[in-house]
Amino acid sequence: MVAHIVALKWLLLRNGLRRSTPQLVGLILAGVYGLGVLGRGLAWLIALRSATADEARIAITLAGSAVTLGWALIPVIAYGMDDTLDPARFATLPIPRRRLVPGLLVSSLVGVPAVVTTILAFATVTTWSRSVPAMVVAPVAAAVGVLTCVALGRVTSAAFVAMFRHRTGRQVLSLLVVLVAAAIWLAGASIMERLSAPGFPAEAADVLGWTPLGLAWSAPADVAGGSIMTGLLRLVLAVAVLLAALLGWDILLRGALENPRATSGGRAATRDPGLGPFGWLPATPTGAVAARALTSWRWDPRYVTSGALMLVAPLGLLLPAVTGGGRIWTLAMAPAAGFMLGWSTHNDIAYDGTAFWGHLATGVSGRADRIGRLAPTGMLASALLPAYATLGCAATGLWSLWPALFGAGLGLLFTGFGVASVMSAMQLHPVPGPGENPFGAPPGSSALTVVMQSLAGATVFVLNLPLLGFGIGALAGNVWMGWLCLGVAVVFGSAALVLGTWWGARIYERHAPELLGDLSRIR
Amino acid sequence: MRLRGGPAALSLRDLSKSYGSTLAVDRLDLEVPSGSFFGFVGPNGAGKTTTLSMATGLLRPDSGTAHVLGHDVWSGTSAAKRLVGILPDGVRLFDRLTGLQLICYMGLLRGMDREVVVGRAHELLDALGLAEAGGTLVVDYSAGMTKKISLACALIHAPGLLVLDEPFESVDPISALAIRQILEGYAAGGGTVILSSHVMGLVQRLCDRVAIVASGRVCAVGTLDEVRAGMTLEERFVDLVGGQTDVREVLTWLHTSSH
Repeated sequence: MVAHIVALKWLLLRNGLRRSTPQLVGLILAGVYGLGVLGRGLAWLIALRSATADEARIAITLAGSAVTLGWALIPVIAYGMDDTLDPARFATLPIPRRRLVPGLLVSSLVGVPAVVTTILAFATVTTWSRSVPAMVVAPVAAAVGVLTCVALGRVTSAAFVAMFRHRTGRQVLSLLVVLVAAAIWLAGASIMERLSAPGFPAEAADVLGWTPLGLAWSAPADVAGGSIMTGLLRLVLAVAVLLAALLGWDILLRGALENPRATSGGRAATRDPGLGPFGWLPATPTGAVAARALTSWRWDPRYVTSGALMLVAPLGLLLPAVTGGGRIWTLAMAPAAGFMLGWSTHNDIAYDGTAFWGHLATGVSGRADRIGRLAPTGMLASALLPAYATLGCAATGLWSLWPALFGAGLGLLFTGFGVASVMSAMQLHPVPGPGENPFGAPPGSSALTVVMQSLAGATVFVLNLPLLGFGIGALAGNVWMGWLCLGVAVVFGSAALVLGTWWGARIYERHAPELLGDLSRIR
Repeated sequence: MRLRGGPAALSLRDLSKSYGSTLAVDRLDLEVPSGSFFGFVGPNGAGKTTTLSMATGLLRPDSGTAHVLGHDVWSGTSAAKRLVGILPDGVRLFDRLTGLQLICYMGLLRGMDREVVVGRAHELLDALGLAEAGGTLVVDYSAGMTKKISLACALIHAPGLLVLDEPFESVDPISALAIRQILEGYAAGGGTVILSSHVMGLVQRLCDRVAIVASGRVCAVGTLDEVRAGMTLEERFVDLVGGQTDVREVLTWLHTSSH
């Protein structure tokens, strides 16, 4: 059974890549990146061989715990989990769950992140090649650690799929996820701050070594250090954690297998007799695209999550001020919001899926398509930029900086709009379809997503360097530079916006049928 | 060929499309006269959807031309697109809109006036028996309701040519009747309908002209009577496309009596 399911995963992956070049490119990029991580990781682990036993224990426990935490959380908060083998697809086959779970678990190891994690985990055997008992325990602990990583990733994503089964609850949940993600991010920031304190890493490793995240990783350290019984105890506990994770996953799978159709949306039909935004936005093609985009941002969890994230994330910059740290960071709120909102629609057409045919069939102009899609982020920004700029000034008392803060936000926003308008007409990268798990990701899509996002973000940043220079000048005390920043933002930003939408519209008009072709190949 | 003067409703010349090494549509020629009710039939994988997509601007042909009422579909202007209404098969809709919103969206995208769009949208919802469902998200519709709302989207701008890919698939008999009546009324008013279907009886009842395609080429085209040549359309279709063997004597292990 295990071999069957792994073979199935491999076939699905191979055939999927044959259909979609962007996915193949994405996987190759992920592979190259994975090799880089692997190389550095191996070098580090080998170098740790000559560190003292205690240093190695601290380093490997911390790194292992971080990796395990990443496996548990990243599928939910960032790039999604490869859901090629959606358990619901096995619902019609007479396979008992206890035979399905090991198969799905092992098949999860087919993938770049899992392969890299596995190799690095087993490379810790080198680090622990200090005594025979340590060398016996290390590979066992590595296997347990890797399987725990994968199982935790499955548990968290299965838990989310289970919670997302009903559309009415989805929006609330997406918001919750974002809040939790923000909380973790904020907690992470304060941990990073304390990490530099002397003695903290050792303390953290001591604590983590007894949590589910670090048990497996610190077991060989005990054995290498001579406390064989402690090490074996940790190993036993680590196995118990793995079994608990598998049990949790098994329970969650029961829901998915016994009620497979429910994932596609509950029957709690949403009713709205009116026209919604179609009634009050201008009755033009541009207005129509804007109204459709606004409706999606209202109803589609994929948009709700990212919208909420962009709303909440800049607030994280308030945290140092609240905890008595540097208030200076609150000044970055408006520019950060402008930056994030600006290029966030750089892959907007991908979210349409094949429904994009409607734009093709009606012959809507590239201009209307480009500008209409900017409406939701534009509206969000028109409220957030002044609010965050004001908040920044209020927190620092530096009211003279308002034009600089608002200007930097505006410049980043408008340039981002221009960049997004060009990029989304040029190339799309795969995203989960409407109604699918918003935390899922087709294989190979994550790397492409990272590349496209980095490209968009870097372009916007570079284009705004002069503007940000003026902003920093204002911060240094030259009030007139703040006004210059605002002026340049208005002129340069508008130019970037006009040029970007014009160029994007031209590309769109030449390229729209090919975009539809890409969209139908992704699914 | 033409029933009344003026250009053909749809004219395809030398149209080809391949996917990798598979030739989906192979130098296909087709002339659909204005005012006809045209049935486009063929076995699965014959290239029907590919042809209709290329004819309506959704899929760029490798070579060849497509003209709608004299306007080049692939010339870069939207003149042809203004004249066509499409119901494509196997694609999504913007299903996070309500039925009413979706119809209005398609009308507004075409630059129509809001009052006209909203008035027509309500009439279409009534005619298709969707008045109650106008405020429900399209994602909550049944398969048949989704087909009907797609038809409404195709009709909102009163097109001269209606291209329908499998409009009767997964539609119940009552809804099918409503769709048929709307299409017949549309054709009687001078509109041209092209529909693809696997249901030969339906095509025989509805259409006055038929084309049978197989392997990306037209193998028979003309008026219904010319094409069926004295047989039923279904017999003629099986005759032309052929290849099916009698399966009654194989798969005997499926017979429950053998247990």
